[in-house]
Amino acid sequence: MIEQFGNGLLLGIIISVASVALSLLYGVTRIVNFAHGEIIALGAIVTLFFSSPIDSRVLFLDRFSPLGNNFYLSIFFAIIFCGLFGGILELFLFRPLRKAEVGNIAVLVVTIGLSLFLRHIYLLFATGKPQNFPLELQRRETYLFFDMTPRNFRVLIAGLGVMVLIGLFLNYTKIGKAMRAVRDSNDLASVSGINSDNIILFTWVSSSMLAGLAGIFQATINDIRYNMGFLILLLIFAGTVLGGIGTSFGAMIGGLLIGIIVQVSVALPFMEGHTEAKNAVALAIMILILLFRPQGIFGEKERVS
Amino acid sequence: MKISMRGSITVLLTIFSISLVFLLNDEGEIRILFNLLTFAGIYGLAAIGLNVHFGLTGLLNFGHAAFMGLGAYVTILLIPHAAGREGEVVTTGLPFFIAVIIGVVSAALFGLLLGLPAIRLRGDYLAIVTIAAAEIFRLLVRDLESVTGGVYGIINFSNSLQQYRLGFIENFSSAYDLNPAQIWVAFLSWTSIFIVLLLLKRLTRSPWGRALKAVREDEDAVRALGKNAVWLKLQSFMLGAGIAGLSGVFLAFNYGTVQVSTFVPILTFYVWAIMILGGVGSLTGPIFGSIMFWVIISETNGIAELIFENADGQQIAGVRFVLVGLLIMILMIFRPSGLMGKKEELLLDVK
Repeated sequence: MIEQFGNGLLLGIIISVASVALSLLYGVTRIVNFAHGEIIALGAIVTLFFSSPIDSRVLFLDRFSPLGNNFYLSIFFAIIFCGLFGGILELFLFRPLRKAEVGNIAVLVVTIGLSLFLRHIYLLFATGKPQNFPLELQRRETYLFFDMTPRNFRVLIAGLGVMVLIGLFLNYTKIGKAMRAVRDSNDLASVSGINSDNIILFTWVSSSMLAGLAGIFQATINDIRYNMGFLILLLIFAGTVLGGIGTSFGAMIGGLLIGIIVQVSVALPFMEGHTEAKNAVALAIMILILLFRPQGIFGEKERVS
Repeated sequence: MKISMRGSITVLLTIFSISLVFLLNDEGEIRILFNLLTFAGIYGLAAIGLNVHFGLTGLLNFGHAAFMGLGAYVTILLIPHAAGREGEVVTTGLPFFIAVIIGVVSAALFGLLLGLPAIRLRGDYLAIVTIAAAEIFRLLVRDLESVTGGVYGIINFSNSLQQYRLGFIENFSSAYDLNPAQIWVAFLSWTSIFIVLLLLKRLTRSPWGRALKAVREDEDAVRALGKNAVWLKLQSFMLGAGIAGLSGVFLAFNYGTVQVSTFVPILTFYVWAIMILGGVGSLTGPIFGSIMFWVIISETNGIAELIFENADGQQIAGVRFVLVGLLIMILMIFRPSGLMGKKEELLLDVK
C-alpha cells in the first residue's frame, strides 16, 4: 500500500502539472484541448532529441543532436521549445479561429484532429518504440515512508516547487492577475484595459511550457512514447474535472488525487488480478464528479448544465 | 425529385474518387474497390448513427467505438464462438438474427444507461464523459478475459452469419475472384444503410424529428412548448447507439475476429472524420463521405511510399492517421458543413 502510495505521488505530480496547464488554458480560452497530450509528448521528445548522444540511433533526426548529454540544458531548451510551439499554435491556428468566431465545439473537434495529426507525426519522425533518456539506472532509497529512486524523488520535489511557483505567479504578479481576470470575464477584463489577445497568447505559451515539463517528468519516471500524452490525457481530464475545471489550485490537488487513486486502487482487494483496469477507477470517479458536482471539489458553483 | 447542386457535385466527386482507385492501381482494382466499399458501408452506417447524435440532436459523442463494440461483443457472445488464449469453444448459441437484435438493443440500452445521467451535461463535458466511458469499456473488455477473450479476442463465430449467404453472392464473388464472406457482409451493411436511411427519413420529417432539431437549436424553447427535451435527447442517443451497435457487428464479421484493439478511440475519430466529410446533419452525406474517406485510406500505401522508401506497416498506419487528423482539422476550419451539410443547421458552439 505504502509503495503504491509513492507511485501514486509520482503519477500524481505528472498529472497535477499537466492538469494545471490544461485548466489554465480552459479557464482563459474555454478550449477543451484534446491536443494537450501531444504537447506533453513534445516536451519529452525534444528533451530526448537534445540530450541523446550523437552516435545513438534513438531518433530519426539524432545525427544532429546538438547538445550531447547535457540533460538539464536539454530540459531547459525543450521547455522553451514547447512554449514557442504553443505560441505558434495560438498565433496561426487558434487566434484566427477565434477571430472568425468559430464555435467552441468546432474548436474542440479541431483539437482532436490536431492531436491525431501531431501524435502520428511523432510516430513517423521521432519515436516508434519506447525510449529512455540517457540516464544511468538508480537504486531505490527510502524517503520518509516511500521507496523511490533519488531521481524520481527529485522529480517529485521539482513538481511541488513548480506548483508553488504557479500559485505565487497567479496570485501576486500583474500578468497572473490579468490571466485570472480574463478567465473570470473576458469582457470585463477588456473594459479594464487588459489586452485579452496578449493574455491568451501568454496562456498558450505558459500552458504549453507546463505541459512540456509534465512530459519530461513522465519520461523521466517511465519512458518516452509517441502516444505517452494521449495515454494519460483522460487522467489529466479527470484531475482537472475533480478539482474543478478552470481552477488552478483545484487542478493541482485534483491531479495529485487522481494519481494516488489510480496507483492505490491496485492494492484494493477487489482489484486483485485486475491491475490493467486501474485507470477505469479514476475515469469512473471523473464521470461521477461531472454528474453530481460538475464544478468539482474546489470550483465555484455556477449553472453548468 | 429535386436534385440539388450540392448533391450532384457530391455524387460526381464520389464517382471521381472511385475512378481514382482504377487510375492509381495497376492490378487487383476490383478487389481493392470491394474491400473499401465494405469498410465504407460499415463505417458509413456508424457515421449515420453518429449523425443522429451530433447532426440531428447536437450531442457531442466521442465514445462511438464503445457502442459499436458493445453491439459486436453481445452479438458474438450469444452465438457459437471460441474465446481467449486457449480458444475455449462455445458450441451452443442463439441464431444469428436473434443475437444481432439483442446486440443492437443492448447497445441502445448502453446509450440509455450512459445518457440517463450524462445527457444533461453541457456539450464539452458530454464529450469528456463519452470518451471516458469508451475507455472504461475498453479496459473492461481487456480485463474480463474469461468472457471476452481479452487481448486474445474471439474467433470462429463467422459461420453463424455466413451460413445464410445467398447464392448470388457466391456467383458474384467467384466471377470477380472476391472473398464471398466479405461481399456478404458488404451486402448486408449496405442493405442496412438503405433501410436505416429510409427509417430516418421518415423519422426526421415526423413531428418527433422536428422536435429533435428544435432541441439542437434551442432547448429552452422546446421545454417551454411542453416537450420533454431530456427524453427526446435520450431517445436520439439510444437510436444512434443502436445503429452504431449494428455497424459494430458488421465490422466484427468483416474481420472474422474481435480483439480489444478492434474498438479503440481511433475508430471513433474515423467515424467523426467520415461524418464531417459527408456533412453534419445530412442523412445521405455519410455514405458519400465514407466512400471518399476509404478511397483516401486505401491509397495511403502509395502516399506513404512517396515519403518513405519501402514503408512498413507502422509507417503506413502513421501516414494514414496523420491524414485523418489533417482531414478533420481542415474540414472543421474551412468547411464544417462537409459535402452535404447545411451550415445553418450546424451546432458549433456550447450552449
